Amino acid sequence: MRVLIIEDEPRLAENIARSLRESAGYAVDIANDGQEGLFMAESNEYDAVLLDLMLPQLDGMQLLSRIRKAGQRTPVLVVTARDDKESVVALLNAGADDYLTKPFDLGELLARTKALIRRGKGQSSPVLTIGDLELNTVSRNVQRGGRAVTLTAMEYRVLEYLLHRPRAVVSKTELLEHLYDYNWEKFSNVIEVYISGLRRKLDHGSAKELIHTVRGQGYILQD
Amino acid sequence: MAQNSIKGRLIAIVVLSQALLAAGLLFTGIYYTRQSLLSTLDASMQARAMSVAALVRYTEDASGNVYFDDALVPPSIDPGHPDLFAVWTEKSGMLAHSANWPAGLEVSPTGGAHWNFKWAHVHYRGLRVFQAPVLDREEGPSFHPQTLTIVYAAPTKRIQEQVRTAGIFIALSSLVLLAATVLLALWGIRRGLLPLQQLAQQAELVSSHNWELHLPQDAPQIAELRPLIRSMETMLARLERSFVQQKEFLGNAAHELKTPVAVLKSTLQSLLQRPRTSEDYQRGLEHSLEDLERLEQLLQWMLRLARAEQWAHGALRRDLQMIDVTATCEEAVERIRHLAEDRHTTIHLSKNGQVPFRADPEDLQLIWSNLLENAVRYSPEGGSVEVAVERKDGGNARVTFQDNGPGIPPSDLPHVFERFYRGDASRARATGGFGLGLAIAKALVEAYGGTITADSAPGKGTRMTVELPVTPEIRP
Repeated sequence: MRVLIIEDEPRLAENIARSLRESAGYAVDIANDGQEGLFMAESNEYDAVLLDLMLPQLDGMQLLSRIRKAGQRTPVLVVTARDDKESVVALLNAGADDYLTKPFDLGELLARTKALIRRGKGQSSPVLTIGDLELNTVSRNVQRGGRAVTLTAMEYRVLEYLLHRPRAVVSKTELLEHLYDYNWEKFSNVIEVYISGLRRKLDHGSAKELIHTVRGQGYILQD
Repeated sequence: MAQNSIKGRLIAIVVLSQALLAAGLLFTGIYYTRQSLLSTLDASMQARAMSVAALVRYTEDASGNVYFDDALVPPSIDPGHPDLFAVWTEKSGMLAHSANWPAGLEVSPTGGAHWNFKWAHVHYRGLRVFQAPVLDREEGPSFHPQTLTIVYAAPTKRIQEQVRTAGIFIALSSLVLLAATVLLALWGIRRGLLPLQQLAQQAELVSSHNWELHLPQDAPQIAELRPLIRSMETMLARLERSFVQQKEFLGNAAHELKTPVAVLKSTLQSLLQRPRTSEDYQRGLEHSLEDLERLEQLLQWMLRLARAEQWAHGALRRDLQMIDVTATCEEAVERIRHLAEDRHTTIHLSKNGQVPFRADPEDLQLIWSNLLENAVRYSPEGGSVEVAVERKDGGNARVTFQDNGPGIPPSDLPHVFERFYRGDASRARATGGFGLGLAIAKALVEAYGGTITADSAPGKGTRMTVELPVTPEIRP
């Protein structure tokens, strides 16, 4: 999962980013003003955007309506210092999916971000399943047929993303887009490495393969 | 009707004036009726008296003696209340009197022509006719004609009754008129005050959510309501403006205060999320301390602003002393020196002797250092700031701060003195300001009855001008 944080207070952005990386294993990009935020939101694929309202250059509300007008459906969580009813209503009407008032709890921010991403991809439960495979996004545990599977961080991220989009073809480029932040060099062959690692760990001792390769297009997760 | 209601007062005025009018009418009516009845009575009495005089005859013996022939006594004016009369001759005194002349009634033949008197509970009006000739003429050389004095009196009971009837009639019709007028006035006043009532109803609908005053249709056409409407509209506009400003201030203050708290909280929470190395803890604590210091600074600025504004609104009175404006400027320049040196900015102070002013030196220093700090922060590295202190004609002090920075865009210029206003928030954060310095300076300058103005053009730097009146109008 890849999240964009648009926040003009660098230290706050950094703290949120660290928390998202460490506790959820997300790839995180940071924009420090509205213009930069708009550019990044338009040019990359994000699974969620965390947006501060009071921003230099372009304020959060304008940014929100710009990306919504452009047809982007990425879930947006607004982080604001204003908690009066009118501005909350205006926010939700402008296309925000959720909001959080400053000062907030990092744990709550994490939970809300996860829930937004989940809902954005049509999943309602924090436990994602397909066949006898089960992935708990809260505890970050994976089980196959009741047997615990230990994954590396990157393997977990790949599997989590695939589980959010079950029975759909996911290309390597899409995986790269959603698993790495802006500062990473993206090599598509690393994806193959993680996929083969996942196959080995998940299918070990099971009769049925879960991850299938669609030649020339990508991968599909189905039972 | 309450005394302090316009309707009540108007009704009271109408009733009072109508009552006065009625009383006047009653009085004049009664007086006039009585006078005209009396004059009619007097004329009748005169005629009767002459008839009585005609009854006095000379005796046939040409002695000039007279007798009274009571065969043809005239009938009373009011048959129900018989008249009285008496006749005197100059020779023999009382000659005769009417048959009903009450025993014991003494009427003098001398006195005024008309008078009133009362006898046996009956009011009479009396008439004296002097020197009435004896109409029965006798001729002869030794004949001396006599003259008579006649007193004729008629009871005034009928007149009194007539006057009373007229009075009652006038009083009753006045009362009816009064009632009709009051009803008419009530209706008219209620109708007349209707626009006021409608205006009040509309004014009631104005609230902090809806500032628009919908005027009743005919209210602006009414001359008396126009000034009220005008002042209501200006008052509402002022209120709305200050309400909006207050709301903006609250929003800004919330943002400015909550952001550092959010940073602090997130730093500490993310430190606690998992075990860290001692270096991580160290760095986290250092960051937290920095954020706390910034928060503390912001609080200090906000308190300073609150105090300055309170002072500007006259909530505080302080002991002011005579100080030298130039000296306070010099001190402020000294204070800012290290910041200027860091940025390689030179500050040049041009002065022209002492400029005395009555103030608290702390206030002036705060004004100067805020303006100086602003000028230095917004000057490019290696720039220069010109400060000039001068005494104008009339003794007013003028201090100007000129920087050669990028200037303020015209769209921002009207707002620079607003609290938390920063033309470019990202640059302001980089320069470390909160957007309160100019607001504080303005509040303080205005507390001393002075003015502060900003002139700027992009690329030409900014000039801040403070003028302080030599006799500060400290508002009570």
